[in-house]
Amino acid sequence: MDKNNLLIVSTSPHLHKKDSVSKIMWMVVLALIPAGVGGVIIFGTSALRIILLSVVSALAAEALVQIFLKKKISIFNGSACLTGILLAYNLPANVPFWIPIVGVFFSIIIGKQVFGGLGQNIFNPALVGRVFLMASWPKYMTSFVKPFNVDGVTSATPLMLLKEGLSADKIPYLDLFLGKRGGCIGEVCIIGLLVGAVFLLAKGYISWHIPFIYIATVGIFGFIFGPSGFFTGDWIFQILTGGLVLGAFFMATDYVTSPLTRKGQIIFALGCGLVTVAIRFWGGYPEGVSYAILMMNAATPLIDRFTRNRIYGTGLRKS
Amino acid sequence: MNISQFLTIFISAVFIYNVILSRFLGLCSFVAISKETKPALAMSLAVMFVTTMSSILTWLIYRFLLIPFHLEYLSTISFILVIATFVQLVEMVIRKFAPPLYRFFGIYLPLITVNCAVLGVAVLNIDMFFVKGKAIAGSFYYSVFQGICVGLGYTLAMLLMSGIRERLELCNIPKALKDFPLAFIIASIMSLAFMGFNGFKF
Amino acid sequence: MIKEFLKGLVKENPTFVLVLGLCPTLAVSVSVSNGIGMGVAATFVLLGSNTIISLIKNIIPDKIRIPCYIVVIATFVTIAEMMMKAYAPLLDRALGIYVPLIVVNCIVLGRAEAFACKNSVGKSFFDALGMGIGFTLALVLISSLREYLGTGKILGFTLAKGFEPAFIFGMPSGALLVIGLLLGFFNLLKNRES
Repeated sequence: MDKNNLLIVSTSPHLHKKDSVSKIMWMVVLALIPAGVGGVIIFGTSALRIILLSVVSALAAEALVQIFLKKKISIFNGSACLTGILLAYNLPANVPFWIPIVGVFFSIIIGKQVFGGLGQNIFNPALVGRVFLMASWPKYMTSFVKPFNVDGVTSATPLMLLKEGLSADKIPYLDLFLGKRGGCIGEVCIIGLLVGAVFLLAKGYISWHIPFIYIATVGIFGFIFGPSGFFTGDWIFQILTGGLVLGAFFMATDYVTSPLTRKGQIIFALGCGLVTVAIRFWGGYPEGVSYAILMMNAATPLIDRFTRNRIYGTGLRKS
Repeated sequence: MNISQFLTIFISAVFIYNVILSRFLGLCSFVAISKETKPALAMSLAVMFVTTMSSILTWLIYRFLLIPFHLEYLSTISFILVIATFVQLVEMVIRKFAPPLYRFFGIYLPLITVNCAVLGVAVLNIDMFFVKGKAIAGSFYYSVFQGICVGLGYTLAMLLMSGIRERLELCNIPKALKDFPLAFIIASIMSLAFMGFNGFKF
Repeated sequence: MIKEFLKGLVKENPTFVLVLGLCPTLAVSVSVSNGIGMGVAATFVLLGSNTIISLIKNIIPDKIRIPCYIVVIATFVTIAEMMMKAYAPLLDRALGIYVPLIVVNCIVLGRAEAFACKNSVGKSFFDALGMGIGFTLALVLISSLREYLGTGKILGFTLAKGFEPAFIFGMPSGALLVIGLLLGFFNLLKNRES
């Protein structure tokens, strides 16, 4: 080890060897499986088809780019697979087959590879793909099916109902928790997501700060700025609907695109929460998680710069 | 004139209808000078100063010169002349009193004149705070405040971009994409992200 | 003189190499017809302003040169605007506020400041011609891509399309993406050459 590095104290997460990065990726993939199983049970085989298409295309896209750039092919380090899964989880179950393919190519190429590949992207690649799809083909990205239905009857998500001013509180919390609602494949089955999240937290692959603070911020401000006046918001509803749980535990926590220091992570999580609530209540879209996380991704380099820890061994200049 | 209008102006100009990321004005300097944080900050402050002062001057000209003589259609030309003259003045003052700063800005000081954001905010003030040729109550204060906030919004976008590009200095970007191409792609993603604020209504 | 003309087309293309005039490029390149219209209007203004400024370059006091250039440019923009309103009113409506905004097009002021005030009238004329046509070509390239991918048509004619149009290309985000990727593509070609 270089002697000069002995006195430099770095903050967590400490990522050392390349294969431990790969292991973490695959652990996150593993943690996401319960939510996916839930999604397939709730939305049927079309959901499974989308997940598989997305993952296979992600691997293909990454391989193609790496061949083109004459880099080592590393598609089995879990990163492309993870991007594929996360994008699929952010899609409605009944999108045409080409949506996940085009979306994931965009995610991998524009969201990740143009920055130099793994570890160097600024934005969460899956979310980059998702907002691209949303801007390009809004018709397909906002048409959801009713849960447990074979006929493809469409339904609105709870947040869409809220945005239109219709009361969404007829849906029991238990249904929201289990996933019996319209929504994206991987976001509805809260219990599945939490199982995976607890696994990651227990193993120490993610820390509780970002997800907890993000969710708490949404809950608190959701309560304060409720639709029918101050302090009347349904915070349980706000937490259980939309892509919040999926985003807070699996996307906002991505090491590469979130701040390095604890202080920075707190700011990041707060920012995500505030923007999410603002969009949900006053914006044109019913859900703001994707946009909130991407905006805070953009701010992360700046946050890192201003929350840098002092390097021990170098003194403050005394004039 | 009420406080909530000021709050609305602040949040709109800085976040929701950010002059660079939502209105797409001021892009030339955004892409050219956002490579490092210090120049980006200096340029932002200069632009903020110019947008504020030009909001004041253009408002006065519109209210006391163009409206009384029914010359509203000359607003674009007269505004840009005012802005150009003012920037030239700023250039002369900086050259005389702070030569290192003048050298630092280089060609980008005169280019603030054609920064679409500056003319844009002047035109925006007129659109928003004059109704049927008459100034609404508090119009002047709203206009000046909007000038300041547009400058702040410009600064926010510049700082975000420079933070990102500085970090990317350490990454091995594909050679063909270095500098400008990647800057455009980043701007494209940032603008996608800020689309989340579409349709915002308090 | 030919050299001055040619450089504006490729080597010093105002959009792809000098990276000037972005605001109108983003806004106007939604359709090819708008792109051509803006390109022609800007070329006209460039020709006029570069020539006149080069003619009077020795009379303008250095300290107030920028406002003087603006007056010259604004005059030509007003002429262009009036001609457009008279002979091509549909285009004028399509381009909207971006016609008067040619006054602040970085390309026009940029060439005046960087070239016309230091060179002869003949050279300035050809410089303007090259830059204007280069700008128009860039606009046509960008807007063809945006119009085709965003609506499946070019110049209003539906070309064979086996895909659903992607609305993002009608938005500035799509424009930035197209410009960024085109720039990267041209860099790739340039690197392969050397």
